[in-house]
Amino acid sequence: MSATKPTISLGPGDAPATHDDPPARALTALDRNALYAARRFIGTDVEKKLKLRISFDVYFQDPLVAQENPKLAFDEEWYVPWEPGLQDGPTSARFAVVDYDAHMDTLAQPARWDEKQDGFVDPEGKLLNRHNTEPYQFHQVNAWAILQHALEFYEDGWGLGRRIPWGFNGSRLIVVPHAGPGENAYYDRSSKSLQFYYFDRGKERIYTCLSTDIIHHEFGHAILDGIRPLFIEAVTPETAAFHEFVGDLTAILIALRNTPFRHQLIEATGGDISKESTLTGVAEQFGKHVQNKPYLRSARNKLTMADVAGDQRPHYMSQVLTGAMFDIIIKLSKHYLDKRDDATVPQAFWNTIQRMQFMALQPLDLLPPVDVTFKDYAMAVLRAEEIANPADPDDYREMMLDVFIKRGILDTATGAALSKPHHVFERLDLDVFHDVDLISSSRADAYRFLDDNRRALFIPPNIDVIVADLCTAQKLTREGRRLPNQILLQYVWREDVVLEGRQFGHFDGQATTMLCGGTLALNQNGELLAWARKPGSQATGTSPPANEEQGKGTYRRLAFLESLTRRIRSGRIGTPLESEAGLLAKAIPPLVAQRVDGALRFALSPHFGITDDEDDVDGGRAWQISS
Amino acid sequence: MADKLLVRAYNVEVGDCLYCRIPKARKVGNQIDDFHMLIDCGTVGTTSNLAAAISNLETMLPDAGGGKKRLDLLVVTHEHADHIAGFDPAVFQNVTIGAIWMNTAMDPAHPQAELTNQLHSLATTAMRNLARLNLNLGPDLQDLVALYSLDNDDAMNALRETLPQANGITPKYVHAGKTPSELGLPLHNATIRVIGPEHDIDHFYLGEDVDETLQGLIAAGAMFRESMTPSTARPTNISESDFRRLRSRMMSTALAFAELASEVTNNTSIVLLIEWQGKRLLFVGDAEWNTKFKAGKHNASWNVMWHERKTRLNAPIDFLKIGHHGSVNATPWNDKEDGQVTEPSTILDAILPVPASGATATAKAVVSTMRKNYQTIPRSALLVELGKRVANVRNYQTLLGANASSLPKFDEFEKTWLGSPQPARTDCENALTGAAFVDVEVEA
Repeated sequence: MSATKPTISLGPGDAPATHDDPPARALTALDRNALYAARRFIGTDVEKKLKLRISFDVYFQDPLVAQENPKLAFDEEWYVPWEPGLQDGPTSARFAVVDYDAHMDTLAQPARWDEKQDGFVDPEGKLLNRHNTEPYQFHQVNAWAILQHALEFYEDGWGLGRRIPWGFNGSRLIVVPHAGPGENAYYDRSSKSLQFYYFDRGKERIYTCLSTDIIHHEFGHAILDGIRPLFIEAVTPETAAFHEFVGDLTAILIALRNTPFRHQLIEATGGDISKESTLTGVAEQFGKHVQNKPYLRSARNKLTMADVAGDQRPHYMSQVLTGAMFDIIIKLSKHYLDKRDDATVPQAFWNTIQRMQFMALQPLDLLPPVDVTFKDYAMAVLRAEEIANPADPDDYREMMLDVFIKRGILDTATGAALSKPHHVFERLDLDVFHDVDLISSSRADAYRFLDDNRRALFIPPNIDVIVADLCTAQKLTREGRRLPNQILLQYVWREDVVLEGRQFGHFDGQATTMLCGGTLALNQNGELLAWARKPGSQATGTSPPANEEQGKGTYRRLAFLESLTRRIRSGRIGTPLESEAGLLAKAIPPLVAQRVDGALRFALSPHFGITDDEDDVDGGRAWQISS
Repeated sequence: MADKLLVRAYNVEVGDCLYCRIPKARKVGNQIDDFHMLIDCGTVGTTSNLAAAISNLETMLPDAGGGKKRLDLLVVTHEHADHIAGFDPAVFQNVTIGAIWMNTAMDPAHPQAELTNQLHSLATTAMRNLARLNLNLGPDLQDLVALYSLDNDDAMNALRETLPQANGITPKYVHAGKTPSELGLPLHNATIRVIGPEHDIDHFYLGEDVDETLQGLIAAGAMFRESMTPSTARPTNISESDFRRLRSRMMSTALAFAELASEVTNNTSIVLLIEWQGKRLLFVGDAEWNTKFKAGKHNASWNVMWHERKTRLNAPIDFLKIGHHGSVNATPWNDKEDGQVTEPSTILDAILPVPASGATATAKAVVSTMRKNYQTIPRSALLVELGKRVANVRNYQTLLGANASSLPKFDEFEKTWLGSPQPARTDCENALTGAAFVDVEVEA
């Protein structure tokens, strides 16, 4: 992460470093390691010159688009940070590619890391790049490089500004590029893996590991699971839909970073990217062959929350939020075009895409730890903007608020409350003061802080609270300005719930828990950046704010039971069929119920299938296996 | 007594073995007497129940001479162990069988079942390979593997060769649309119609979309090669336990194929419509339903029947042999129970309408079942729904009293529904009185 002296890229014009640029003198391995240790202080361009960033040929979309649209075949600006520990696989600090095919029961040879060539080679020793795409090893490198890049997109200063752990214990996500035949790709926390399958369409074999959109979408699930692991334990369809949204958002944001693609878009739309027909036309290519879920097309929709109320299809629902973020992209680029005299359309668009990285990603750190709704995200987006840009001379917040209200994600009352004049930064009203440096130093200190302030933080007095996560982030804003460090503390507790009534089907009479908690974001001065809460129905005090909090918690509990009823009625909850022989996709319902410590927990299953869920079949009968 | 049609559902745990006697429905020459038939004889439970059932059956059958008993028709609905495990020539040595019917998909030479048969043999190979690996599969998937056990080969051999030879007959592969004269039964004042499966098995129950995938997998596929030995290659960048865990979370094409083959086999069950003295009786084997009929795609039996044989189905029936041991997907209904009208709910309302307020139901039903490995079979909510539409209902909570809690998985899958009227169940009747069968009589 380059934090102090980044080079501001203005998009087209800045030529990337090539392999031919001679370094000042030959670097030894020791030199390289030392530079790697100091990379925070080196700008991106210098990193490229010093080979601390290596370019890889990856498909911009997929091989078929590459055939039809040669200008968009390979991404010309794809850089992956070098690591001292790169190995065959490819294997890096965060990813391990295992090319195992479960159907054929075969293991393909791994791509070999060649330090001298700064690249991976196939079993014959030939470098894997756009001139050598046939071997399976190219697929391995393609998938790996896309994932490394996407992880950096999230971890760097314009993203969350911190290292993001996975949702499982361990550092390496296993990547399986040819898992077997099937129209499938999924993230599976329990095996710490991203699995990509392949299928035949006529005479063509389609590999999902070569579809950049699919890789980004599945990566979105993995990274969100790392940022908010408790979202997988969600009963509401909205939280499942949010998982889908992050996948789509990742795919769109990274795709729009591709310069030739942006230029083609601008050409096709005559500079007005809001033009429905031409944008759809360009997006037609994407996903046409691979799947029925073209990300750009789904972004250009007019769905509102009212249109998806009560729906159980996560991807269908997610379109409301994806659409809202795309509305913001369009409004922002229009703004850049109108308000800046020197701006050209390409410039305006590039500025927009750059800004969207932090506008859309940084709010993820402000989300509540559990049970996220689209409204939570919208509030986080607005708050993140306020933190980065308190004066807001261009009225970005008003523009975004307007988009969220039009989509029904926020209501006008909330909008009015947000627009009321207020102090941007306030101190948290605590019972017992704790120094923010101490809070952030260890979980034990964070626990003490929470316990000393149960009343002020609306944590019930008689339930144990858990520190779900504690970390510090160094985020950047548009000009590469460092924001004050953020201390992010997530705390949760479990409220006991007994399911009573026939509407709970065979769960009638059983105990479960409702997750409650909050995310507290403080800056290094101890100022409150954000506080997103999911209250419980138990009393935490007698003051009016405590009563209000309890009221909200009671409402949450009712909504939780209502959601659970609907899930059960529509047959979307079942028990997982574990087997050493592998998974039978058909037999895995969208939500599985498991017993943990004597109570039921519901968790989202990996979603099998890469097509849209618009025609999703409802009913428990769908998961019944025929025997 | 003699004027009543009898259906006797033997308690064979998870399986079907049903005897049906149609009074005065057989005419040979000038002789008129009762027509005796047996539908299926199988279980995935204790096989001794099957031998006991056939022993009892012999007491119901007339003499055939030579110390044997006469059975006019043996129907084998489909090729699953819980319907064929009992076809051991030794068990049937005292029975003279007049005719043996199997469904047309069980005919290895049927050209319009070629792909289905290929699918079935691939699934069989894959499942037998899987069984040999002795992996931990969990109870539900263990059942799926058990469906393809070697014992099935013995049963099928008995049905195709040994029993026909012993009785001097050739088995008939039946399908919907065959005329009574083609079916060739010595019936009198009664008809037995086959309304499922359709003759073109591959077209209706496999469909064109499955075809493409199947062809591709036949070309590849280690799993489908006989006596496959697992490879010993191991990745060097992850641990052995991580690799084992990974494999258990990857899609198994073998299981997917077996499941699909199993589904198709269920959907090619023989569905019989018996008409006698104005009464209609439906025996559905394990036929399944789906949301609606989709031309050219792979369909479920009920939807195909609703589409192709609607005239036969679109009227109230007087008896239903509840499909697939009370499984949620074998009796068409609105399983979401949200009051919506769907194709399956329409079918149910047509064959077993809810009686108008004040009126009582006249139809009857029986389910041959036991809650075992697949814990959601029978689906209690479905049985309660059917209980609203039939006359021979029982309140098993009241009848069993404290013993009700001894029913398998009582708390989760019985308790909530046991206090509502349900149609006769072989498992509950057995728990109640040790009954070896449940009788349902239909009066003219």
